[in-house]
Amino acid sequence: MSIPMVTSIANEPVHLYAQRGLYVPRLGVLLITDTHWGKASTFRRAAIPVPTGDLAGDLARLDTLIAATHPRRLIVLGDLVHAARGYEPMMLGEIGAWRTRNADLPITLVRGNHDTHAGDPPRDWDIDVYDAPYLLPPFVLMHYPARHEAGYVLSGHLHPAVQLVGKGRQKLKLPCFWIQRDHTVLPAFGSFISHMTVTARESDRVYVIADQDVIAV
Amino acid sequence: MPLIDDWFASRAWSPFGFQRATWKAYQDGQSGLIHAATGTGKTYAVWMSALSEWIDEHPDRTTWSEQKPPGLRVLWVTPLRALASDTENALLQPVRDLALPWIVESRTGDTTSTVRGRQRRRLPTALVTTPESLSLLLANKDAEQNFRDLRLIVVDEWHELMSSKRGTQTELALARLRRWRPSARLWGLSATMGNLDVALRALIGTAEYATGEIKQGVLIQGQEPKAIHIDSIIPPTMERFPWAGHLGLKLLDSVIGTIQRGRTSLVFTNTRAQTEIWYQAILDAKPEWAGEIALHHGSLDKASREWVENGLREGKLRCVVCTSSLDLGVDFAPVDVVIQVGSPKGVGRLLQRTGRSGHQPGAESRVTCAPTHAFEYLEIAAVRDAASRGIIEARPPIEKPLDVLSQHLVTVALGGGFVADELFQEVRTAYAYRQLTRGEFEWTLDFVARGGNALHAYPEYSRIVLNADGRYQVDNNVMARTHRMSIGTILGDATLKVQFIRGAEIGFAEENFLARLQPGDKFTLGGKVLEFVRIRDMKAWVRAASSKRGIVPRWFGGSLPISSELTQAVREKLDEARAGVYASDEMRAIRPILELQAKWSTIPSRNDLLIERVKTREGNHLFVYPFEGRLVHEGMASLIAYRVSRMTPITFTISVNDYGFELLSPDETPLDDMLPTVFSADNLADDIAHSLNASELAKRQFREIARIAGLVIQRFPGGQKSAKQLQASSSLLYDVFTKYDPDNLLLHQAYREVLERQLEINRLQNALEKIMAGKIILNDVRRPTPFAFPLLIERVRQTMTSEALADRVRKMTLALEKEIIHEQVAPKHQSSAL
Repeated sequence: MSIPMVTSIANEPVHLYAQRGLYVPRLGVLLITDTHWGKASTFRRAAIPVPTGDLAGDLARLDTLIAATHPRRLIVLGDLVHAARGYEPMMLGEIGAWRTRNADLPITLVRGNHDTHAGDPPRDWDIDVYDAPYLLPPFVLMHYPARHEAGYVLSGHLHPAVQLVGKGRQKLKLPCFWIQRDHTVLPAFGSFISHMTVTARESDRVYVIADQDVIAV
Repeated sequence: MPLIDDWFASRAWSPFGFQRATWKAYQDGQSGLIHAATGTGKTYAVWMSALSEWIDEHPDRTTWSEQKPPGLRVLWVTPLRALASDTENALLQPVRDLALPWIVESRTGDTTSTVRGRQRRRLPTALVTTPESLSLLLANKDAEQNFRDLRLIVVDEWHELMSSKRGTQTELALARLRRWRPSARLWGLSATMGNLDVALRALIGTAEYATGEIKQGVLIQGQEPKAIHIDSIIPPTMERFPWAGHLGLKLLDSVIGTIQRGRTSLVFTNTRAQTEIWYQAILDAKPEWAGEIALHHGSLDKASREWVENGLREGKLRCVVCTSSLDLGVDFAPVDVVIQVGSPKGVGRLLQRTGRSGHQPGAESRVTCAPTHAFEYLEIAAVRDAASRGIIEARPPIEKPLDVLSQHLVTVALGGGFVADELFQEVRTAYAYRQLTRGEFEWTLDFVARGGNALHAYPEYSRIVLNADGRYQVDNNVMARTHRMSIGTILGDATLKVQFIRGAEIGFAEENFLARLQPGDKFTLGGKVLEFVRIRDMKAWVRAASSKRGIVPRWFGGSLPISSELTQAVREKLDEARAGVYASDEMRAIRPILELQAKWSTIPSRNDLLIERVKTREGNHLFVYPFEGRLVHEGMASLIAYRVSRMTPITFTISVNDYGFELLSPDETPLDDMLPTVFSADNLADDIAHSLNASELAKRQFREIARIAGLVIQRFPGGQKSAKQLQASSSLLYDVFTKYDPDNLLLHQAYREVLERQLEINRLQNALEKIMAGKIILNDVRRPTPFAFPLLIERVRQTMTSEALADRVRKMTLALEKEIIHEQVAPKHQSSAL
């Protein structure tokens, strides 16, 4: 059972999940970002033998999120697909099967840089694709983190992580939800992804993901 | 060899006995290894043999034609491309003097495309090259043809290559060449080391490919100096001497005085960062020396290095501050004065550097040491003892690394292709792979051809393919180009080129370091202070900075661990100190510190294990002093931490140096009840394997393996777009492999390499047995002792924990801007600890 961290952003209650999703209960919308589907197969096409399994693991985790939230809509904040070269039979098969399992769930994609290069996803995935900004009051959905006058921005792209320090000179780097005054950056959903350390300010709110827990720091 | 004798006479040289012995052995068709502390005469010992052979085959001078130079006969392998041009010049001397129609050229990463093009059409008579460039030559489908007239292969500085993966790469290349040309002689030139017979075997191979006959070779000792003097600079007062850290700049004046003793000098430091610091410090103190002093290390660009090498050769530079980059070769430019900053960490290394001074045959060699902290005096006293007793480190080759093998498989697939059975036999003639099992070979072949177990159902993957004629080849052009580009990568941490925005390249710096810089940050490289602008297109762009101070880039390839031979000698010195015997200047200089250690705690005897326990504001410290060298300590620290953490939930951070290790934790460790069992040698392999899962060592080791095996690619043909899509850190790959392909043999190789090379598991086993057989002294001290201090402020720390992640996180806080640690020029003292 996944127990979310309940908090609010722009006065809107939100649920933060350790499975790396953000759920807005009033709107029934589940938000994830940077899935980078097909990244491992892109590598394999280039003769770098990355083992299979990560995509299946990611899709299972997405199913967990969907089961926990029963969203009316899933929105991906960009970088759904890693590269055009990532499309190959096994990957298409896995995602196709997943989509069939979740055939009733409307899915929206807000384009990110990788999506622009890779082109729109296959028709039969049945995903509505939009360019940023996508308005979902009180939020503005974009791939790149930035301010927007139309509202509070939720974005991805950075794959944010923060550095924690502890007694005895401990250091730990963990992916996080980075909530700032006028925009929030969601953690990258995909597992075959490197996270980038960001420096938070005192006025920011940071929630790190430690295995199955979301913890405020 | 009348012509050769004449040539020597014309230069007023008299051939050494060992040179004549080499010529004779060569004439008898033998291979061998020439070893000596100095470089004197080794080159010509083998080179003249090859020239002489050709002259004997072509006695009629009228047939010698510049228009028809002989095809490739001699391959000269050198570890550093920096040495290639010097070597080329030395080889050319007699060729010119004797008017031989030979072409001598080099082929390295520095070779221009014009020359490369020319060499593609026709290889020179003698080719000077690096292991990487040799592999590249083998990755050519005409490779076998190109080497059809090879008579002699020389591997220069073999001691330097032998125990590294580049040495393994060389062994595989030699196995290939030996198969094609069984009659070619193989000669190695090497410094003195503890395992010469293995060095010879690693060079000539185990057995001949075709006949299975065991190969034979000769060991020839070269010219040794008459005597070796090791002395050190001792400050008048030791009390205010820095305990540890980068700087020994207290000794700067004395070092400058020492430099002024001669016309030319080399100042060796142990890390590139230190080289930059010392160079700057000397220049600041002696601005009138600008243009006469230089720095030299492997991360500088070619033009800078060449300028320095030329300057040294022409005697124009009075001082070069360098790392091991100038340990090698250049037996053509001896210097007057050799200075070693910091401990050399090994006997062999110091002797080699000392051998760079005063090359008059039979003259004395001398080195002056300038330690960077108090305990290095101990090491110098110990080095002197060990050297006088002829104790020199052995350099063992790496045992059958599969990452190098997988790279080689692709190379051979490109270079004409191979039949699996035949290549297996061929590879086994290389010493490193003499015990390669068929299963290991098959796994590697499968990994390279089909992506291994995890990808069996995966038709898209293709690196090498099996053709209808039973040969494995590469059929994909992009794959071929990618492989060729990655062979050229020097093994080491990922580095990026650093370049002026509107101008020249400066050198390389570590990607980890550059990635943390913000625009406007200043750092030093190549003696210049630079301002970081941005990273783009796999390069770091900078402009010249106006201010003087900068952050010195940190290179991971820096700190060498102390050799076990040297730690033995150090413990003997400590035993003497216990008995009140301080027999050398160095020991007398640190007497007050050792007496302080004895007062606050104790000086352990050779058979004691001293453990000190102290509590500070930072937490609870356990200092353990096995004196077994940094590598063993990393393993022992992980092991002890793991065993303790199995009995109680606790988190440790670990720091390690050559004398001992520290376990620091927020909570107290109930250690008394755990002694001595926590040091038991029983179950070592299992416990270490488990502790490895929790530590960063295997992940770090995997970094190198991933790069060599082609899992991580730094340079791509076809530009940046494809490069961006294929960027993955080895750390990420390690996680993916651990989760989805845990039986992957490259992961196993990472564990094994950590065990054997990083942790020296055999040495660790022996150390634990010794501890169990001896006495353990547990001292509770009120403040960190002199032995503890260097560990206390050691920057690089690892973590070992048995606490649940969430619990750990709840005790930690966010690192805000001001706390993020940058490498500073001078480390801060932990005044709270005093």
